[in-house]
Amino acid sequence: MTPEETSPKLGFRATLRHLGCGVNRTRTYPVSEYRLRVFFGLAAILLLIAPRAFAQGTAEEDVKPIPLLTGSTGFISDFTGGQPDLHPIVTPLVLVPIGSRWLFETRATFETDLVEVPGRSGFHGGPVQKEVEYAQLDFIANPYMTVTVGRFLTPFGIFNERLYPVWIRNLQSDPLILPIGLGPSNASTGAMVRGGFKAHPKFDVNYAVYFSALFTTSPVDSDRFIGGRAGIFVPRARLEIGGSFQHLLQQERSNLFGFHLVWQPTRLPVDIRSEYAHSKRGSGYWFEPVYKLNQVPFLQNEMRRTQVVARYQQFFTGQLASDSLSAVNTKQFEFGLNYYFLDGLKLAGNYGRQFSSSGNVNIWTMGLTYRFVIPLGPTGAEQ
Amino acid sequence: MRRDWIWLCCLAITALLVRSAIAQNHPKSEKSSNTSSGAAIAGTAETHDAALPRSGRSVSSEERMVRVEGEKRFRANCGRCHQPPHKFPPRVMAAAIRHMRVRAMLTDEDMRLILKYMTQ
Repeated sequence: MTPEETSPKLGFRATLRHLGCGVNRTRTYPVSEYRLRVFFGLAAILLLIAPRAFAQGTAEEDVKPIPLLTGSTGFISDFTGGQPDLHPIVTPLVLVPIGSRWLFETRATFETDLVEVPGRSGFHGGPVQKEVEYAQLDFIANPYMTVTVGRFLTPFGIFNERLYPVWIRNLQSDPLILPIGLGPSNASTGAMVRGGFKAHPKFDVNYAVYFSALFTTSPVDSDRFIGGRAGIFVPRARLEIGGSFQHLLQQERSNLFGFHLVWQPTRLPVDIRSEYAHSKRGSGYWFEPVYKLNQVPFLQNEMRRTQVVARYQQFFTGQLASDSLSAVNTKQFEFGLNYYFLDGLKLAGNYGRQFSSSGNVNIWTMGLTYRFVIPLGPTGAEQ
Repeated sequence: MRRDWIWLCCLAITALLVRSAIAQNHPKSEKSSNTSSGAAIAGTAETHDAALPRSGRSVSSEERMVRVEGEKRFRANCGRCHQPPHKFPPRVMAAAIRHMRVRAMLTDEDMRLILKYMTQ
């Protein structure tokens, strides 16, 4: 161990180098060490002071949580423009609660593409792609604030953070605007403060403020940016609206913004979700209504397990090119059916058509998804 | 210079959010929230552990209210993104709800009521 690493004065510098190693190594963008010091200094102060300041307000849980292995698995068959692509995917999520205020959570993805190889029969898979989607440590500082450090899903819009897993999403295809604001691997490396609280008897407010450092090691790379997301949820109307903002601290140093909406009318079994995102590399929106057939008067056992889904989306190219976004203006319409054998086991099928100047294509998707929960400890309540 | 302003704005927003969060702890807000029916139940839940009612009748009545409100919050919050799951054993649910508190930014009140509902 070098004197620099053991010195209390320089300990922060060593930590800084670990967290933002990509920044120092590449020297592509000048590091504002002062600002990073301020940021991590504030984070450290929050971590130290918050437990004492808010000790009275923190929820004491009656039941002690145990570590869990949960996640989802799916087999998605996709036919885009007549080209078949079989896509098995496993996404395990490990949750390790520590004490009454901490949670370590990490999610990985193992997936491969099985495609037809010319001259050979059947489908052949390439190497299994492995990726740690996120690995984060959460500290519940008080009832209204959680501090997260590590690699976390970028909270820009709602799809990436809340709707991405195959067992949750209504249509198995990604929205065209999904890559906007997420960084190169859909995740950020840094720190985040987030939470939710009842701001008024009629509505709740949720928020997330984050900083991500540049990290160039693939596949856990991330961009350098700051951003935030805030939303208002009206429980009585079951309506959530919110907005996201991000400022890129590299490349063109541009601003990105977006809006989201989730509405579940109380009188109809309908879910409506929508997002809009804008950046210099492109912009667009998607709108997704879902109708649950539980009001249909016949075959009620089957109908209450069935959903009809539709999604309309448009993407507009921006001033700058992007590898992860479409190169041309694109419109896409999809509709499909989901059938829930159980709440975690779903059969999904959908058809869509994509319209763009590079050619119109049909998109067919069939999939079977399953959510699993495996306790890693005794599950009974502790008295 | 421009970035300094962005940093200052971020700090100011964070400070406002923290201040707003602290204000929630003030007894006045609890008092005012008790005027609405939903919040009244939530307020009951907040003090549930500290002041358990003595009589059996009020226990069952309060538990029923907490359960109804828990189910309401469960459907409103969990059902916003995914199909409501079936009930899991209590310690499994406690881990899942802590995860969802962070992921779905549930309020402390929602977390308490949903956990209560899902473990009863």
